[in-house]
Amino acid sequence: MPATKGKTVVGLVVTVTLSVAVLAGVGVLLHGHSYYNAPTESATVKGTIVGPDGKTYPHAFISDGIFGDPIDSQAHGKCNTLTVQEGTPAAAACDGGHPTWPSYGPYTHLVLPAHAYVTMTLHVYDSGGSLNVPYYASVVGTIGGTANYDGVDKASIDPTAVQHTFTLHGVPTSSQDPLFVNVPLPQSDDADAAGSPLPKGHTVTFSFITGGKGNYVWNCEYPCGDTSYQGFGAVMGSTGFMSGKVTVI
Amino acid sequence: MDDHEELAPTPGQRAGKFLKQKDIIQTIALGLFFTAVFVVLGLWFYPKWMPEAMSKEMVGDEGILKWFTVISAPIAGIVLAISAESFMNRRKGNEPATEDGAGIKTHGPVVLIWSAVSGLFCVLAIVWGIVEMNTWTSDALTNAPHALVVDVTGSQWAWSFEYPSLGVTSHDLYLPVGVPVQFNVVSADVNHSFWPVQLGVKVDANRLETTVVRTTPDKLGHFDVKCAELCGLYHAYMETNGEVVTQANFNNWIATAKANGGTES
Repeated sequence: MPATKGKTVVGLVVTVTLSVAVLAGVGVLLHGHSYYNAPTESATVKGTIVGPDGKTYPHAFISDGIFGDPIDSQAHGKCNTLTVQEGTPAAAACDGGHPTWPSYGPYTHLVLPAHAYVTMTLHVYDSGGSLNVPYYASVVGTIGGTANYDGVDKASIDPTAVQHTFTLHGVPTSSQDPLFVNVPLPQSDDADAAGSPLPKGHTVTFSFITGGKGNYVWNCEYPCGDTSYQGFGAVMGSTGFMSGKVTVI
Repeated sequence: MDDHEELAPTPGQRAGKFLKQKDIIQTIALGLFFTAVFVVLGLWFYPKWMPEAMSKEMVGDEGILKWFTVISAPIAGIVLAISAESFMNRRKGNEPATEDGAGIKTHGPVVLIWSAVSGLFCVLAIVWGIVEMNTWTSDALTNAPHALVVDVTGSQWAWSFEYPSLGVTSHDLYLPVGVPVQFNVVSADVNHSFWPVQLGVKVDANRLETTVVRTTPDKLGHFDVKCAELCGLYHAYMETNGEVVTQANFNNWIATAKANGGTES
């Protein structure tokens, strides 16, 4: 090979290699800064249960909560909720940088077993209002089409008194089973209960059956963001507060 | 007059000389090759890559995409052929630079023909689209009085469907085969776009403004319902299932939904 041609080939290889390396480096750097390490909870399997289809499933349990104050949610760093005051430097370490945003917590990434009967309990403590879409006031995709609200089974709640919703839906692929669950959550009293940083709140329990392995997202359908985008700005346009992931393994 | 004076070549002689050049012959050959490739892609591969057509609107959409690919094949073929010929004749290594060729002058007839052909393609595209759309609209309006009405609401980031005449709401879209359907589409928040892919229709979902689109599903099976307007954080997840079922199965589904309080997932 002539010397000039050899230099050309070496130069070409070095240029391509360096370009790929630079692009990969920038990608890794950006991913590192953008990746949100969501607090994760895996469902616990306790025995088996017979589903409405007559099949026996592993019975998995998982619980989470919804809070009007991101500090109370404990989803954005640990701090003492009884002593940390909103707006202080100490609070900034555990409010996710948004002291006025409501938040699910302490978990926003839920890991569920595949082909299981999952019973989920949500303890909810935030205020609320009217939904943009009344459809989300209905319980959808659960066993029996109902959820248990403080001991009472209901198929829907008042669409003008909704706190938030737990709405689970899937990604646009044909390689995983569809999984759509919508449970509206009733608004809570604004006043904190005596001796507690939280109001009395509600306990909502519901069950659904998972399909095969897959990656899903959940979000809230109550317009609890700021006034932009009909209430879907701010907290509703961010991950880790009123939205998160569900991984079925 | 000088008996030895050479006569200027006629246009035919100039064209003949031009076409006998090696580079031109190669370019024409490459152009024909690339055109053939795109025609085969358009007629044979392209239809296989497109979603299954479940309405005559989707058949029309796919026909337009297929034939426009074929029509545009010669243009893509010529461009690629000139690019390939230029690449093959590039200066290699230490070869001395060749002298510049003769300057290219504007050639009136060529410009005229090129502009006319391009214009005709544009007119063809416009007329074809108008005729297709007019045919669909005419059929849809004829069927409108006995169409199944579905109120579609897009919201971040899910679809919900209400069948007002049947008292049912759902997250999935069920339709009976062979029955004309009218979608009244609206958004509860930002702009979305309602796109039942295999049904071949798509329309914006706007807040406070109802848009209407009609179709008649003519094939049983699954179809995808997507949002085709970037609408925020989970736009990519704003998809749900659609099913075209027999009238009997549709009636059963409605009955089940009503038994469940009128709401079905």
